[in-house]
Amino acid sequence: MPTRNITLALLGWCAALAVSLAAAAPLHDLYICASNSRGTRVIGFKDTSLNGVYRREADGSFTHLGLNHPMTLSVTFDPRDARLFYVASLSGILRTPDGGQTWRVATDWDVTEPKSVVVDPNDPDTVYAGVPDGFIVSRDRGLTWVRAERGLPERGKYTQVVQVDRTHAGRVLIGCETGIYLTEDGAKSWRHVFTCAATVEDLQQSPHDPLFWLAVTQADGALQSRDGGFSWTKLAGVPAEHALYNVAFDALNPQRLALASWTYGLLTSEDGGRTWVERNAGLPVPHRVWRTAIDPDTGRLYAAVLDQALFVSDDFGRTWKAGGMEGSRITGFTFVPRAAR
Amino acid sequence: MKKFISLLALAALLAGPTFAQPAYSGPMPVPPSDTRTDALRRAYLDRVKEVLVWYSATAKPDKPETIGTGQIVAKLALHQDAGLVSQRIIELMKQPQTGDMFWMFPWAAISFLGRDQLSAEAKAAIRDAWRTYFPMRGDTENHWAMYYSSLFLMSELYPDDPAGSWFTGKSSAENRAEAKGYLIHWMDLATTIGQGEYNPTHYIGEYAIPMLYLATWSKDPEMKIRGHMMLDWLMAELADNTLNGVLRGPNARTTEESVLERWNGLSSFFSWTMFGNTPPPAAYGGFGIFFAGAAENYQLPEVIYHIAVDRSQDYIQRDLKRTRRRWRYSDQFMPPVYKTSYMRRDYAVGSYQGGQSDPIQTHVWDVTWAVPDPRGVHNTLFSMHPYASTEVLQMYFTEQPDGLIDSLSGQGKPSFGVPDKILGASPYERVFQDLDTVVALYDIPPGTSYPRINGFFSKDLTQITEDKSGWIFVQGGHTYLAYRPLAPFHWEHLLGYRQLPSAHGYKWERVDKGEQGDKLLVSEHLKNGTIVQAASADEFKSFAAFQAAINALPLEFRLEPVPVVKLTTLRGKQVTFTYGQAPVVDGAPLDYTKWKLFEGLYLNAEKGSRRLTITHGQLKRVLDFNTLTITDSVTP
Repeated sequence: MPTRNITLALLGWCAALAVSLAAAAPLHDLYICASNSRGTRVIGFKDTSLNGVYRREADGSFTHLGLNHPMTLSVTFDPRDARLFYVASLSGILRTPDGGQTWRVATDWDVTEPKSVVVDPNDPDTVYAGVPDGFIVSRDRGLTWVRAERGLPERGKYTQVVQVDRTHAGRVLIGCETGIYLTEDGAKSWRHVFTCAATVEDLQQSPHDPLFWLAVTQADGALQSRDGGFSWTKLAGVPAEHALYNVAFDALNPQRLALASWTYGLLTSEDGGRTWVERNAGLPVPHRVWRTAIDPDTGRLYAAVLDQALFVSDDFGRTWKAGGMEGSRITGFTFVPRAAR
Repeated sequence: MKKFISLLALAALLAGPTFAQPAYSGPMPVPPSDTRTDALRRAYLDRVKEVLVWYSATAKPDKPETIGTGQIVAKLALHQDAGLVSQRIIELMKQPQTGDMFWMFPWAAISFLGRDQLSAEAKAAIRDAWRTYFPMRGDTENHWAMYYSSLFLMSELYPDDPAGSWFTGKSSAENRAEAKGYLIHWMDLATTIGQGEYNPTHYIGEYAIPMLYLATWSKDPEMKIRGHMMLDWLMAELADNTLNGVLRGPNARTTEESVLERWNGLSSFFSWTMFGNTPPPAAYGGFGIFFAGAAENYQLPEVIYHIAVDRSQDYIQRDLKRTRRRWRYSDQFMPPVYKTSYMRRDYAVGSYQGGQSDPIQTHVWDVTWAVPDPRGVHNTLFSMHPYASTEVLQMYFTEQPDGLIDSLSGQGKPSFGVPDKILGASPYERVFQDLDTVVALYDIPPGTSYPRINGFFSKDLTQITEDKSGWIFVQGGHTYLAYRPLAPFHWEHLLGYRQLPSAHGYKWERVDKGEQGDKLLVSEHLKNGTIVQAASADEFKSFAAFQAAINALPLEFRLEPVPVVKLTTLRGKQVTFTYGQAPVVDGAPLDYTKWKLFEGLYLNAEKGSRRLTITHGQLKRVLDFNTLTITDSVTP
């Protein structure tokens, strides 16, 4: 009997531990694109820094994945198998089928400097990318790429950011130099839904309400759409004199939003975007926040301060602490569901 | 002279005290008296050998750090020390690789030069680096020329290797197809609507070297002949645009140093090697060795040689070029650039119509005069609007706006964001040139950085005379120059740049050389203009006679609402030039739509033709990219 009791006790303890671990284990992996030459890299000159895609480990450190590329901007993963991912780099779209062990420059000579790459989660064979001279799409898991620009202007289609509507396959919004464009047929055709004076830097869809989108721009401040991107209005309370670089939603709290800016630093809202405050106390001066992100598992706020480091805040910007990646220029955050790993 | 001494010091630093660099530090080259083909060829090969021998001698077997890619190329080209070189290559390949496409072409050259000399281990080490090291492709045409030429050749050297053995993740055949696709695309652009990075003082090497490599080593007969033809094309342009070997403006891309000391660029290495009519720069311009390593495989066409060295006849040349790619904030992707060059024995005048050709390093116009020895001499005169804006940088660079201007200084381009710069172009400058008259007009919107015009006045000018008429008369070499600012001005010393030690990027301090240095004519007026006229001293009895002739010419101008100049030139042309309108010469407005790809005494091509005709005297060479043929003929 005692043996049986001990066994039962052990089983119970193990079960409790498993539940506890499951509760603590993050549901997402964080990947970042970063360069570590402090902005002084000159093409052709000596540079031994390690750059490219990094993954956050359990202890908070970051592990470099495979290919050392000094200028990567965006990474996207196949939801069926996160070992297959794509990177927008100065050299073109980089594709790895095995978690970064092997790579291929998936695009040809006629694609240079893609700025943003996104897999359609509802049609993951399809991958979209914004490029300086327009837009390209792959229908075969990134193996081949074609132009998809019907409806985009001949001039004015510089595309900085691509976002796929997670609720509809083939529904994509892009941020260009002339505003925001929408396709609902997988990039077969585009329509202009909002005009901007300069480049749209970021587009994000709310994790709480798929009809709610935010955009940030170089010259028009922050924009919001409440109808899935068909119409846009300026977001009051956000300064518009200088460029805003990206925007983040908190997946745990619909009231929480964050904006990154070289000039304003980090701006947050805790009332769904009605009011905004600067949360720069504790960040290096000058607080040139190149990118921000909010951890979908914990609500932790990230601020990538240009060529300084990654900073993290667990009280939504009231206090900050160093989060690694010293001296880096982080150009993109991507949270990937662990289920796809 | 101070500059010359500092260049000598640089050369000494590069070479070590025991390795004088003969042609750089020696007397001015003397034009050969024997211009027969064989004699020219021998002289060319002698110069090439000088480069190889000098580089080889800088390699010290007991100091491995003295043996870099330049020394390896030299030794392989001379068939020296294959064992030592192999050992050094294996060491170098164990280190982290860096340099992107500037890494690719030297190692491509070493791979080909070393095919029959290097050890199997050394060859394998290089080959494996093309799998493990990922060189960036870059963001401009010179990058792509180096990247794709190197990738093409290496994929030919290892023709059947699988995708996993290349950094691109593509097989040898896929690499070749991609590289060939780009290179033909670039050649198509250059031979139909003009080159993008035209007349570059340094970047010429980044085109000429890859083209030489294609011509030398490509197994694909199409790429081999294309490389040869493009190299001829580049050298023909160099010959046509140099004054005694010195490349002058306009330049799509040049540097703070070269825009003043016009000789001090890699282009002078090519003039020296090909034409023998000017000294090479220190260390043969750095990249010269990579041309020299394969230079024996190129023979300069005689017709091009004679264009380079013959300045007995004045000539005007008009060329069509294009801007760098404008990714955003522009109605045009690669707008046309209309370039004019007027060449005389004593001076050359060159310009394009103004506006932005490249965001940083463009030089729009100048008068450059001939000097007995160009080393250390600032033999040029021009004005420019010192323009700096994030929007224009974003037009050409796909980067975020903030920090762009500051980062340029840290990337080795110190002057972009300073008001007293003398390098760069402005969207608010319009230029017209007729023979040796240049009119530059400026209409700068309020709030633009920077609200001034900078006129460059060299330390090497003599007889500087501020005339009560408003003209400033100067003499440079055997050339009389008249400079007319259209608005009030003051003088400043032109400060130089001294590079400081830095662990991260470039850092600089400004240097004032005082009254002995160059001067800037600074005119802080938004609506502004400059008129320059040039003449050979031989044309006038005296400097005073030149001044009198200029002062006698009718000249009217106004600056409001936009600058307008109406003048009679020294050559008797009636010119009316209004900012924003086509210039009118002798009553006829200039029609830019009729501008040809090349039109002049020596170089001629129709727009869109892919066919360049090069002539001098009885000699003629036709480069036809439609048929991929080179046709030489001698007119009876």
